[in-house]
Amino acid sequence: MSGSKNSVKTGAAPAGFMEAALFTLVAILAGFGMELLSSGGGIDLPVWPFNLIVLILFGALILAVGLMFRERPLVAWLGGIPLGLSLIIGLALLSLIGGVLPQDKLPPDSPVAMLRLNGMFSSWSFALVTLLFLFNLGLSLVWKSVPFKVANLQFMLFHGGFWIALSCGLLGATQLERLVVPLYEGKASDVAYHRESEKAIHLPFSIYLKDFHIEQYAPKFALYDPANDRLVEPKSKLVPEIGKGVKVEWTNIGSVTVLDYLPSALPGANGVPVAVDGKKGVAFARVRIDENGKVSERWISSGGPQLKPLFVPMGSYFIVMADGAPKAFRSEVMLTGPGGEKRMETLEVNKPVDMQGWKLYQAGYDESAGRWSTLSLVEAVRDPWLPAVYVGFFMIMAGNVLFFWKGVKKMEAA
Amino acid sequence: MTLVEFPAIAFAAAACWAAGSLLQIPARNSKAAGSFSWLFMLSGTLVLVWFLTSFWIALERPPLRTLGETRLWYATLIPVVGFLVEYRYRIGWLKYYCMGLATVFLGINYLHPDVFEKALMPALQSPWFVPHVVVYLVGYVLLAASAVSGWHNVMLDFRGKRSAKGEAMSHYLALLGFVLLTFGLIFGALWAKEAWGHYWTWDPKETWAFISWLAYLGYLHLVALKTDPRKLQWYLGLSFFVLLVCWFGVNYLPSAQNSVHTYSG
Repeated sequence: MSGSKNSVKTGAAPAGFMEAALFTLVAILAGFGMELLSSGGGIDLPVWPFNLIVLILFGALILAVGLMFRERPLVAWLGGIPLGLSLIIGLALLSLIGGVLPQDKLPPDSPVAMLRLNGMFSSWSFALVTLLFLFNLGLSLVWKSVPFKVANLQFMLFHGGFWIALSCGLLGATQLERLVVPLYEGKASDVAYHRESEKAIHLPFSIYLKDFHIEQYAPKFALYDPANDRLVEPKSKLVPEIGKGVKVEWTNIGSVTVLDYLPSALPGANGVPVAVDGKKGVAFARVRIDENGKVSERWISSGGPQLKPLFVPMGSYFIVMADGAPKAFRSEVMLTGPGGEKRMETLEVNKPVDMQGWKLYQAGYDESAGRWSTLSLVEAVRDPWLPAVYVGFFMIMAGNVLFFWKGVKKMEAA
Repeated sequence: MTLVEFPAIAFAAAACWAAGSLLQIPARNSKAAGSFSWLFMLSGTLVLVWFLTSFWIALERPPLRTLGETRLWYATLIPVVGFLVEYRYRIGWLKYYCMGLATVFLGINYLHPDVFEKALMPALQSPWFVPHVVVYLVGYVLLAASAVSGWHNVMLDFRGKRSAKGEAMSHYLALLGFVLLTFGLIFGALWAKEAWGHYWTWDPKETWAFISWLAYLGYLHLVALKTDPRKLQWYLGLSFFVLLVCWFGVNYLPSAQNSVHTYSG
């Protein structure tokens, strides 16, 4: 994309791809050297307001160098495609390490941790290559933008968008806050925790959890083979969802038909399940089991906090019932701001809510309690640099549309 | 329509493509044979479109969740690229590779049939679900077509029959694929922001998506450097392996143990 015929005249690049590759390699090795010296401590990016100051100074440096020394061979090389390509390959190789090795904590004296291969994306190597890449990208952007030409618009949008998204995403990361707020039904809280440090922080508002509710898909039943510790696949290849009248067959084993289904029930005085309201009950189903002619009727159940699951044998297998996967989980909350203003909201996955510069997400619940959970885990996220990153994203997409258009036009001309 | 019918559907599609391909031989001399050939080849794809539609209705959700389901889309869409290339550029050989590749994907699904279920986890219930996956899939399909055409061009070059037209085609397929890959990446980031609170977390799947994107970004810069197109055919052929790691190979890597994006099937 960089080689458009509209490029501004620059100085002749003194060196080609080999020198660029060597330069990139030196940057990577220097990064590893820094990691060894700091025992894999990684890079600490500047915090507010220094991140903004660094970004402005870096941008100004690129602009000054790009405009004032554009005809110097060294500068032409620094902003040229060979170096850009080498740095792209460098970024890809470092990402490859980060994409193959688990990015987990390791004993600090292990070689992987000493080189920070287990924390690649906050390592010196990655930071140095990214910095040089941003410098190279920035120079080429300056040359294509000044003087302005409409023909260079696609280049400016795509490369400029990438520069903004990458630089603001990285420098803004120090201000990104992601906190977990545990909420219990019937209680209010303004205490949030850092996931890693478990440090408690008070939010500028409080959240009262009125109700936590889980909607589930229908319970499923399955045939368990204890000898091989596996589930036997039904003839239909369909995970059988329980519902009145559902019949499932297993080749050479038999079939099960659901005669009755009670989504919420408790055993009655004579042991027969009786439907009950609300969260107290568990799912029961009366099934007819046909083991190749030998017919019987039994109750099966998924069980719950107070009741053991009911599973029944069919030959050497067992018919078991499992709760359906969560379809939706949501928290009905009341948010109270610093001035006492109150707001009712529903938090749900994929539907975050804004409050005082924070975004609140429905993150989780007590999975061991399943639909009986009275705990809701909410994530509170604040990312002041997000608008800048989004500007970058939308510029990339606009550049992309032009690129697509140009590509199709060229293809038609081919 | 469910997975019970899948073997018959897969067989019907592959048989239609095979019959259509064989009819291309008499089609050189007979217009009627040519028409029948296209009728068969398009029918192979239409059978899969019909299956996908009915499967979508039976599942009550888009069949885009498991790897098996994405392979199904792949098998449906990749021959379409071959047909369009022939329609637009009069390059006929690509469609055979595309139908061959589609048959391989159908074969994988036949050998490893998934048990299907309707459940869709809450994070996937988003307006971004269909656009993100479809844009990525079409991008993958175009890049797969560019890779096979890259390999074909390499072979042609070995035999001393270099085709500038064939090389231009693999380039444009890669270019369009890159555009869609970029959209897919950004749609994914926007979706992640709505679902998980952050657009980028260097999760292994995200990291591999970034590596694949960089691979094709590198390709475009090599083109800008006026690299010998013959070398670029190798590059396109090999880049697709990076994409395959991103598509399903990432599930088998040591880094995948903590990923939120490991999809079964």
